[in-house]
Amino acid sequence: MNKVVRLAVASALCAAALPSWAAVTLTVASFPDLDRDVKTAIPLYKKLHPDVEIKLVSRERVDHVNALTTQLASSSGLPDVMGLEIGFVGRFIASGGLEDLSKAPYNAGQLQSQITGYSWAQAKGANGDVYALPVDIGPGTMFYRKDLLDKAGVTEADLTKSWETYIAAGKKIKAATGAYLVASPVDLKDIYIRSNLKNGEGIYFDKSGKPIIAGNPRFENAFKYAKEAQDAGIAGNIKQWSNEWAAGFQHDQIATQAMGAWLNGHLAHWLAPDQGGKWRSCNLPAGAFASWGGSFYAIPAKSTHKAEAYEFVKFLAANREQQIAAFKTLDAFPSLKAAQDDPSMSEPLPYLGGQKAREMWRDAAKHVPEIPINKNDGVAEDIINDQLDQVVHQGKDIKAALADAQADVERRARR
Amino acid sequence: MAVTKKNTTGKSVAWVIVFLGAVLMLAPFYFTFVLATQPREAIYHIPPPMWFGEALAHNISAINALIPFWHNLGMSFYVAAMTTVLALFFCSMAGYAFAMYEFRFKKFFFAIVLGSMLLPPFLGLIPTFMLMNALGWLDQPRALYLPAAAGAFGIFLMRQYIGSAVPKELMEAARIDGCGEFRIYWNVVLPLIGPALGTLGLVTFITSWNSFLQPLVIMHTPENFTLPVALRSVQSTTNTDWGAVMAGSAIAVLPLLILFVLFSRRLIAGLTAGAVKG
Amino acid sequence: MESVLSPAASSTAPRRRKRFQSWKWAPYIFISPFVIIFAIFGAFPLIFSATLSFAQWDPAAGFGAIKWIQLDNYKFVLTDRWFWKSLGNTVYIALASGLPQHLVAIPFAAFLSTLLRGRNIVLGAYFLPFITSSVAISLIFSSLFSKDFGAINAILMSLHDHLPLIGQLLPDHKVDWLQNTEMVKPTVSFVVFWRYVGWNTVLYLAAMQTIPEDLYEAATLDGASITRQFWHITLPMIRPMMFFAVSLTLINNLQLFEEPFILLGDNGGTGQAAMTTAMYMYRTAFYFSDFGTACAISWVMFVIIAVLSYGNNRLFKLAGGED
Repeated sequence: MNKVVRLAVASALCAAALPSWAAVTLTVASFPDLDRDVKTAIPLYKKLHPDVEIKLVSRERVDHVNALTTQLASSSGLPDVMGLEIGFVGRFIASGGLEDLSKAPYNAGQLQSQITGYSWAQAKGANGDVYALPVDIGPGTMFYRKDLLDKAGVTEADLTKSWETYIAAGKKIKAATGAYLVASPVDLKDIYIRSNLKNGEGIYFDKSGKPIIAGNPRFENAFKYAKEAQDAGIAGNIKQWSNEWAAGFQHDQIATQAMGAWLNGHLAHWLAPDQGGKWRSCNLPAGAFASWGGSFYAIPAKSTHKAEAYEFVKFLAANREQQIAAFKTLDAFPSLKAAQDDPSMSEPLPYLGGQKAREMWRDAAKHVPEIPINKNDGVAEDIINDQLDQVVHQGKDIKAALADAQADVERRARR
Repeated sequence: MAVTKKNTTGKSVAWVIVFLGAVLMLAPFYFTFVLATQPREAIYHIPPPMWFGEALAHNISAINALIPFWHNLGMSFYVAAMTTVLALFFCSMAGYAFAMYEFRFKKFFFAIVLGSMLLPPFLGLIPTFMLMNALGWLDQPRALYLPAAAGAFGIFLMRQYIGSAVPKELMEAARIDGCGEFRIYWNVVLPLIGPALGTLGLVTFITSWNSFLQPLVIMHTPENFTLPVALRSVQSTTNTDWGAVMAGSAIAVLPLLILFVLFSRRLIAGLTAGAVKG
Repeated sequence: MESVLSPAASSTAPRRRKRFQSWKWAPYIFISPFVIIFAIFGAFPLIFSATLSFAQWDPAAGFGAIKWIQLDNYKFVLTDRWFWKSLGNTVYIALASGLPQHLVAIPFAAFLSTLLRGRNIVLGAYFLPFITSSVAISLIFSSLFSKDFGAINAILMSLHDHLPLIGQLLPDHKVDWLQNTEMVKPTVSFVVFWRYVGWNTVLYLAAMQTIPEDLYEAATLDGASITRQFWHITLPMIRPMMFFAVSLTLINNLQLFEEPFILLGDNGGTGQAAMTTAMYMYRTAFYFSDFGTACAISWVMFVIIAVLSYGNNRLFKLAGGED
């Protein structure tokens, strides 16, 4: 008994002491743009832990995932810390290759109250344990061109009141200015299917993992509005992040764009730098709250420096100074609540005509529901987009399309 | 060749078509260099900038700040050069055997050559990674050039070319002269297949230079990344310094251009001269 | 053939034996680098993917997660709507880009081979797409093909308005090259054609170097026209290279991945109109985390490509009477 206690004490001491005396090199795998928060962190972290070297290995976003998948598959060559964006975190958690951070010695549960609720929920596995820590969030917001709205006699309230007024506003904008309301029908559908979700309700799957697509008014309406927008000519066919999209902004072709709040920085710096002052931000239509993006850091179960790795991940996620520094370099909204009180949150944003939009985004973040992630969300999204295309461009019946989508998702998710 | 009047008009029409086609072929290549000299936002201008800007120096220093560019260039060059030298040797030997000899299991071996072209590269990613890990070759250049050193493509090309370019009588004559089999290959066959060697060398170098799947998983030190992996590592959907990426791409394509100029001479070199000598 | 290859009978006896032996084992030595390299680096991935095609496996979960499910993956693939759709897309693009490549490259190479000056410069220009970085290709083509701002639509519209007669045949509205499900496949096919036509020209030009000049001289003396010489000398003489180039196009086009990927993104564009089988396979393996099904797709494709390659082989044999 005594021996066991002694051992336990010794190992606890060891675990506690390890980060401070062992000179280790942590390999951090990440991707652009998220890797810039690691670059920001290195000098700050060096001050606290002079004996820990951070080696950053960046790969392109999808390359990064492929490299990690390959390394996890063969359990070799793994980094100590890996960055994951929202689209992949659920899959990697489900695969079981990540360290459970809820258990000792990490006890990540202690941090829960400090971190934005919905992003914390996204880092949980099906068993309720935490496998990654959020480092930034992307509260959703509606960016709109005030000048175009004014020209069409449309107000911000028309955009936010209901989906009907939003679409009606789009028709007026199109008639008065020629601009599209949304870049593509897919964008419209994507906002709608995320709106009015309750805590714990998934986008495509319920708690038991069963798809909830067919007969679901959330999808029926999303498809209906998307089709209506397409038929009315107020939806373009412009893909996000294409040069056509940027050109659409520059040439006054797109009047509203729902996106993560971070889009502001991209619009201002390079997507449409000449349109400063013409843009504003407001909440999503019909009281919807959603999120775009969000990033996490996790530790592979096969990492050889887990204790040090966790110290570093905790620093990225829960150190106020680091969170604010990352916010300033990346424009990525801090997930740490304490960092959301930084005075910079109340600064007027010149690109948005001096609007103090960050306060609004911070409030929006509080309302975003906790949406559990299913590992088959990616498949479901592909299937929904395929069916939406058939509805919008080939006139397929919405109910039939959703029934087909349901069957397709069931067929695939069972695998 | 006698040139008739009809021929000259035909030729001028052909030239016009060839010229218009060449413009189309050149355009993206040209824009690589234009965009390399433009600031990052220029990429999002439609129409794109048509003429060179002044941001080249800035872009080059930007790409150097983002990635160890010259290391990556060196690594790409080393891997591509090793692959090319080995492939020229191994593929021409194997292609020669398949074209000129009859031996047991020839069909079987050639089926393997063709079959090995049929597996999509990215499905080989995981097993190749495991293999290199087992060999202790991760992060080593040889893990990139050795597997590519006897590619099916090269063997197939050599077999087809040698079969039609090397007369079998020539081998017979060489044997009568007392030539060993390897000497026949080295002294008789190789001098005859210059254009094919040129083509293979060119395409092997280019393929290796542009390959990114294998280096992506096998190399894990940023200094050891090959150029395509390194250049991709600074690209993201939301925020990419395209000026820097294009400057990197423009520099990356220069060695290929020089190589083409060097090899294209070989490519065109007449056969007749070689055949007489052999 | 045997008699040509056999060493001359006039050699002295001991020498003959030595030669005879070396002639027998030499080909094995010559192919040994390939065999060794294939055995080490090529065979394992093939066996691995063949084995995993009978399993359900999320690669990120490690080997512990492999579950053997016999032929389920194959059943799934063969009844999968997206697989057949992707195969249809692949065949469409393969034909629409592949046929013109060769129909243009062969006469073009013949034209170039008659040139005394400027040949390398022209060849170089047409070869450039092959070495242009894929980033540049994706950026420039998405800009050129842009619906509202692209140069191609601008040119088409102005031709429609200003060119008499032919102009009326051109579309009177802006074409959505990269988003409209009906235009995407032709657009991708064009880019594939654009990228590889110069490469095929290089292959054919290299082959034409093997044709002895005196064949043409004799034909010219006999009064054969350039066209006749092309049909009766050039074409038959480059048949082995044609077989090679067509086989290569067949194999590469049926595995087409890069061009649609860089033009349209990883899901093959609106309505997956240009999602090729290779893209679908990739997405299944690394995005849907279903490596087993991806392996099964690749083996179904393996069989399809092998059958088509064999057919191609027969076709060339029929056309020429021998290999």
